[in-house]
Formats: sequence, C-alpha cells, structure tokens
Amino acid sequence: MFNAATIWQVVVNGASLSAIYVLVALGFTLLFGIMRVVNFAHGAFAMLGGYALYYFWGRFGVPYVIAVPLAAAFVALVALIAEGLVFRWFYQRMFESMIALLGLNLALVYSAVMIWDVSERSIPPAFSGLIEVGGLLLPKDRLMVICIAVVVLVSFWVFMTRTRQGLAMRATAQDLEIAETQGINTSVTYRIAFLIAIFMTALAGALYAQIYSLSPFMGDRPLMVAFVVVILGGMGSIPGAALGGVILGFTESFLATFYGASVSSFVSFGVVIALLIVRPWGLLGTPDGARA
Amino acid sequence: MTIQRLCVTALVTALACFGAWPVLALEELKIGAIGPLSGGGTAWGLAINRGTQMAVDEVNAAGGLKVGDKTYKIQLVMVDDAYTATGGRTAADRLIKLEKIRFIIGPIGSPSVLGALSATDPSKTLVLSNGFAMNILKNESRAAYNFRTIDTTNEFAPAMIEWMHRKHPQVKKVGMLGTNDATGQAVLPMLTEIYKATGIDVWTDSFDRGSQEFVPLITRLMAQGVDLIDLNSNSPSDAGLIIKQARQAGYKGLIWQVGGPAVPEIMEIAGPLAEGFMSLEMFDFSSPIGEKFAEKYHAQWPGVINAQVPLWYNTTKILFEALRRAGSTDVEKVRDAVKATEGYDAGVIGPVVWGGQAKYGVNHQLLVPVWIAEVKGGKEIILEKITPEKR
Amino acid sequence: MTLVMRIAGACLVVLAAALPFIDKDGFGVTVGTIIALNMIGATSLHLIIRTGHVSLAHAGFMGIGGYVATLTLMRLGWPFPLNLLAGAIAPACLSLLIGPLLLRLQGKYFVLVTFMLGEILRLAFLQWSSLTGGANGIFGVPAPGPMFSSQAGFYWLALGSSLLCIAIVARMLTGNMGRIIDSVRDSERLAQCAGIPVLQVKVAAFVLATGLVGIQGGLTAHYLQYIDPGAFTSVQSLSFVVMNVIGGMRSLFGPIIGATFMTILPELLRGYVEMQHVIFGLILIAVMAAMPGGVVDAVNRARQFLSRRTRGGNLDSNLARVEARQ
Repeated sequence: MFNAATIWQVVVNGASLSAIYVLVALGFTLLFGIMRVVNFAHGAFAMLGGYALYYFWGRFGVPYVIAVPLAAAFVALVALIAEGLVFRWFYQRMFESMIALLGLNLALVYSAVMIWDVSERSIPPAFSGLIEVGGLLLPKDRLMVICIAVVVLVSFWVFMTRTRQGLAMRATAQDLEIAETQGINTSVTYRIAFLIAIFMTALAGALYAQIYSLSPFMGDRPLMVAFVVVILGGMGSIPGAALGGVILGFTESFLATFYGASVSSFVSFGVVIALLIVRPWGLLGTPDGARA
Repeated sequence: MTIQRLCVTALVTALACFGAWPVLALEELKIGAIGPLSGGGTAWGLAINRGTQMAVDEVNAAGGLKVGDKTYKIQLVMVDDAYTATGGRTAADRLIKLEKIRFIIGPIGSPSVLGALSATDPSKTLVLSNGFAMNILKNESRAAYNFRTIDTTNEFAPAMIEWMHRKHPQVKKVGMLGTNDATGQAVLPMLTEIYKATGIDVWTDSFDRGSQEFVPLITRLMAQGVDLIDLNSNSPSDAGLIIKQARQAGYKGLIWQVGGPAVPEIMEIAGPLAEGFMSLEMFDFSSPIGEKFAEKYHAQWPGVINAQVPLWYNTTKILFEALRRAGSTDVEKVRDAVKATEGYDAGVIGPVVWGGQAKYGVNHQLLVPVWIAEVKGGKEIILEKITPEKR
Repeated sequence: MTLVMRIAGACLVVLAAALPFIDKDGFGVTVGTIIALNMIGATSLHLIIRTGHVSLAHAGFMGIGGYVATLTLMRLGWPFPLNLLAGAIAPACLSLLIGPLLLRLQGKYFVLVTFMLGEILRLAFLQWSSLTGGANGIFGVPAPGPMFSSQAGFYWLALGSSLLCIAIVARMLTGNMGRIIDSVRDSERLAQCAGIPVLQVKVAAFVLATGLVGIQGGLTAHYLQYIDPGAFTSVQSLSFVVMNVIGGMRSLFGPIIGATFMTILPELLRGYVEMQHVIFGLILIAVMAAMPGGVVDAVNRARQFLSRRTRGGNLDSNLARVEARQ
C-alpha cells in the first residue's frame, strides 16, 4: 500500500480536501474574529449558497463564471435580513449568540425542508472529467476548487491588509471603542464584514454542494469542519484558517487512506484536544489571557 | 328544462349526502405511525407517513373500515422519533397514552424500534416495524406484539449474492464501506459471512454517516484489489457519492448495492457515472402495478418516490385486513389475524408470506420479493426477480 | 429563600409526587419522567457553569455512567442501587483525572475542548463494540428492581433522584461554598489573591457534576431498557446548555425552569408536524434576544419593576436597579 503512486495520490487528494476546508472555514472565522459571534448558522448559509447555485447555474443557465459569485452575493444580500433581525442583537455576546444562531439554523434548515423536500439533488458539474498526469488522477471540478480557494484567499488577504476598509475592520476587531473614536463607522464596518463573511460562506457552500450533493442538511458537515479548522488555526485568524485547513486536509487524506476512517477521526480529535490544552489559541491565533 | 335540471341536481345532491352519510356518522379508529421527521433520516420518515396515509385515504374513500359490526373512519397520527431510542420511546408513549392508540406502524431505525418496544410490549400494543437489529424479533418476549414487514439483509442478501456469483463468477474480492451506526454495524458482519460462504473474499471499513468525503477511503479500497464494491445499507446520499467518487478515482470494477434501495436518488447524485450500477429494488416501478401506484402518489406529492413507500402502504393494508378478519379491535385477536394473513395480496407487493422461524424463533418476518435492477443508458431497468427463502 | 418560596417549593414537590394519581396512566407521567431525568443533567451542568465554565461534554459523561451502570448490572451481576453508584463514580473518576488539565483553560477554549472530548467519547462508545455493543447498543436492560418497574414506580425513582441531585447542588451553591464558587466565577485573580484554591474548587465542582449526570445515564438505560450511543451526542450536551441559558445561568431555578420548558415545548409543538422545528428555532432566537439572562433574570427584573412602582423608589429598590443594570 505504501507505494509512490498511492502516496502521490494521497498528496493530490489532500490538496483538494484542504482547498474545500479552507474555503468553508473563512467566513466562520471572520465573523468570530470581528464580531465575536459563533455562527452556528454557518452550515445553513452554506446550504443556501448551494441552492442559489442550483437555481442560477442549474435552472436559469447563467454562465458558470457569473453564477457562482452571483449566487454567493444573492445569499449575502438576503442574509442582511437575518443580520438586522438576529445577529445584531448578539454582537460581542458569545454565549447568547451561540444559542440564538442555533435557533436560526434550525429555522433555516427546516424551512428549506418545507420548501425543497429532503431528497438529495445534484448540481450539474461545470467541468466533468479527470485530469491525468503521470498516473495521478484529479477530477477537474476539484482542481477548480483549489484554484478558487487560492484566488479567494489572496484577494481577501489583499483586502484586509491593503485597503482602508480592511484596515477599518481590523481596527474594529481589535478594539471597538477606540476604533469609533478614530472616526470609523463601526456599524457600517460590521455590516460590511457580515456581508463578506456570508459571501464567502455561501460561495464555499455552492462549491461544496456541487462536488458532493445538495440537501437541506448538507450544512452540518461544513459547520463541523469550520469548527475544527478554526480551532486548529486560531479563532479569528485568516492565515490560521488557511493553515488549519491545509493541516486537516492532508492529515485526513493520509490517515484515512492508510489507516481507515475511524483512526483518522480519533487522531484528528485527539490532536485538536492536545493542541487546545497546550496552545489553546491555535497555531496562529493570539494568546489573550487564555490560561489561568 | 330548468325544472328538470333542478330535480336532477336535487336528486344528485340527496344521493351524495346519503352516500356520505355513513362516513359522517362513523366512529373514528386511530392508528399511529412513528418515524424520523427531522435530521438525516427524514426521507424514510416521510416514506412511512405517505405510504401509510395512502392506505388510510383509500380505505376512508371506500366508506371506512368494516370491523365486526362497526365501520370505522381511520385517522393516522404520526409522531417524530428523531431516529433515537429515547425518541422512539417517547413517541410510543405519546401515541399509547395520549392518543389511546393500540396499533403502530413503524419505526424504522433499530434504536428507535427497541426504545418503542419498551413501551409497546408492556401495554400490549401491536407494532409493524422495520429495523435491522436481530433483537427486534429475537428477544425474550418472542416478539409477542411486533412484526417486521420489510426485508432485512438476512432475508434478501443470500439470494442476491448467489445471483451475483452465478452471473459474474470472475468476482473474487468484494470491498464494502459501511456506516458507523446501528444499521452498518449490524449489516457488515451479516454480508461478510454470506460472501465468504459463497467463496468471495471480503474487505470492509466504516465511516461516520453523512461524511460525504470518501476519496481517501476509496483510494484505500482500490489498493486492496477488489473487483466488486457493495454499498450495503448506505444512505442514498452516501451511496451516490461513493459511486461518483470511485469512478472519478478510476475504479473500473463492478459496483452494486445489497441494500438501500435508492436507485433514482443515486442516479440523481452520480449522474452519468452511475452507468452499470446494480442494486436491490424493493418495488418494480416499471410494472403496470408500479406505474399505477406512482400515479396515485404523484397526485398528492411531487418528487422522487422513496422505495419504501409501497412497502409501508402494504404494511398498513395488512393491518387493515387483519382488523377486518379479526372482527374486533382487541389487540391479541388482531395480532393472531396478522399471523394468519398468509396469502393475502394487498395489490402492490404480492401475497403475504411470513417467515423467519429459523433465524429469529418466530414467524414474524414478512418475506417480501425483491428485484435486482441495473442502470443502463441512464434508465433503471429490472434484471431479475428474487424470492427470499422461507426459513 | 423566603418562607413564601419555601412553601411554594414544597407544594410543587407534593404536586409532582402526586402526578401519577392525578394523571392516571396518562402521558403526563411520561413527560414528567423525562423532565425529572433532564433536570439531573441540567442542574449538574449548572454547578459547572457557576464556576465560570460551560461544558459541551456533559452527555459524554452521562454515557459513561449509563454504560458502567448497565455493564456492572448485566455482566458483573451487581444489584440495583449499587450499579447506579458505580455509574456515578466512573465519570467522576475520569473528570478527576482530566479536570485539572482542562479547567486551566479560559471560557471559550474550555467550550471547544469539551466539545471535542464529547465527540471522542461518542466515538469510543461506537467503536468499542465488545464492551458497549457498538452502535446497536445493549438491549434488554432489566428494570431497576420490582418496586420501580411500573410506570409510576419508575417516575418516583426518577423524581426522587432528581430532587436528591438538586438538593446536593443547592447545598454546594449556598452558604460559604456558594460564595467561594461565585467569587471564582466573578473574578478568578481576585479570588486567588484572597487565598482561594481556584483550580481545586473548579475540579471539585466538575467531578461532582459529572458524577451526578452519570446517575441520569444509568436511570435512562433502565427506563428504555436499552442503551445506545445515540443518546449521548453533542446534541444532548447542547440541550443541557440551552436549558441553562434559557432558564438563567445565575440561579439554580434557571436549569429547573429550562429543563421543564425544553422538555415540554417539543411535545406542545407536535401538532405542527412540518413547522415544529422552525417554530422551535424562532422561539430560541426570541428568548435569547428578549431575555438574555434567561427566564429567571426576566422574572427578577419584572419583580424589581413592580416593586419600584409600588414602593415609589426607596434606597433598596434604587440599589436593585443599579445592580440589575450590571
């Protein structure tokens, strides 16, 4: 089993898994980093992104390159309603946000069940077929996700570090009151951060639904993954989410291929627990009086 | 002319009222149903709900169910069990104590059935359920008040695997990916035993239900050199994704499912990659009976019909027939009548055959004929019909 | 606790005990049993919350208790109350071992670590089939002795155990011990400076709490006469947390109210088959937005508001107003 061909395939699989995981975790960590909100409805927004793509690309035939960001933007705009009605009451209040967003998740998921029925659907693939390089196989749609993940990460990093709005967001995250005294309109900043976070979540959800399948319950796994990635990388850190996603993706690929799924789960959980005990702020997070 | 019209209208109206009168004056008999209406198992819960409802609607439209010298209007009360043991128990308690129900259809998941039995057995409530655990029929009380009306792996697998060995003798090793839950853990050992007895080597691994990402496991499976993948009792979603990802990983061998069935859903998820996939089918939707059933279903609900719907319809019809024959709503009499329904044909599945003595100690397992289907040219076609052995 | 409250409490207990007579083999006793069982978990978790930590592993410890109680009864032949005791001691031992390590972590990290811990415990229950029966669990758990095998009998057992647990937790939260616990939650550094062994206090609360919830695990196995990992998932742990948050995290009445509310609500919503989960979700949002301190806090505010109205603003109520704003 441990031959060169399998090992290379494991690496390729790991890369595609990492890309998916990173995308899925970005929106989640942004919401926590800036607004200290644990978005338990993360999976629900990803699911909505999936259904949006199903309609724009699958039913209305919008060209793929436009359909994907359009679906994400559509969900982000509609989510503003949720922002005004639900999220706004819970900024900076971690525990209350957890429960309220849990409620929002239930409401969204079961509304989806009533609207769309429980059966799984598939979104027609944008690129089908495989790329074969020297015996290694990679489905084209997964390669596309890797490319999109890189593009999203880079553009997001540029936005946060090189633009005024990005600077405003980082300042607001560090200290709300001081940022306000500096003249930053924090409620606008929060709203922009919310839009970007949900945009990325819905985008990840759309791609996720296309690679796997679409159903009202599909969001459970992205939520779990986002949690683990963000714990690994550090809550609120974007490079952390990238690093966490890569570590999780490659570890899962390696362990599950060579040792089976249960070993992979146990080890992943064990490592995360150990990390939380030894270095709770994650690999790239900032320690903030984490330990007594 | 107008007077004539008036008279005809009056006559017709009077006849209609007269025709409806018996139903209006009917006493109500409630029957209960339990199934998952939340979480990942919702598709099956809806199958119980709809299959049972179809039978209920039919009997009510025909004027009610005649039991002894009374005719009853049937009312269905369905409760969600959230696919857990506590859920099944609470649902059963609610139906028995609050709704005063004595006849229950479902649940489907083993934990839920076992949880429900702790309430239904002591209160002598009749249960017609699914659930793969042996304990459901093979227990201390010898399944005194419950029956299983859908085939489990024990019933359909031996004949199917024998068929595979006959048609594809080149298959030497089978790989199975199963779920880490009650069904998966019950089913994998059963199938392993049967494959080995047929001379086919077996490799298995398990995963968390709903994990969706199988590429690492498939890489692992392909390194074992299997020439057949058996999707056993995986959910439609997991099964469809395994097929899609296995083909994308370059797997060239056979893929089939001794379980499910979920062929339409799998075709939806795997698309053209489902070509050549073979599966258990519990109902022949392409037959004239099947088409009529589908028509009736689609008059009320859109979308893909879950394969279990006709089976629950059949179950409910058997219950009604037993009630009719018993001539009373006394549970013990109805239970004995259920046992005696051998040969009764509800019109969808074929005649009732009770079996299971050899494996469970009681003949409370309904032996339902099954079919083997294949996806050819983007359509599901039926290959062969298989009748489980009466053991 | 004023005299009025004590009398009211006693009346409630008497009513609860009389339930099987009021509601003859009705569904009320079933719901009452589940409420009593859930109260054990909710109030024991409350003890941990009062020290400033929210644990998402509580259902995992409940599972350990359940399996140990089942196995000591069925495989080792231990008699009835003894197996429950074993089911209480086992999770307590585990938390004694890992508590000192985990409780050093600050709030949000403790939540995450316990979430992972809960998942690992669930996987262990699932995979260790030779011991736990795996996903199919252990069937045929006998009833807890002839006295408690009837519907009403088991209800009284559950009610009695529940009241015992509540009494134990209440004892810990009142008097000197209660003040120590509150000071640990309010300001760890200050408590440490005052000479309080902060970590020991947290571990003690954690050990006691996990031991108590182990009893709920054992009782649940006896109730269903079946035990499987499906009852000990993060969903159940989250349920206990929600019971505390909705009822109120600052008072023992919180989890009591929360457990009752969370058990009854799904039963009330059953009529709306399709909508029930949507309604439940919306209720959670509304309660969190309108009553962030939980029901207990809302009731307190209402009382203060009323007393201000009637007494017209004397020193006591002004102080109360200042306190309420903090």
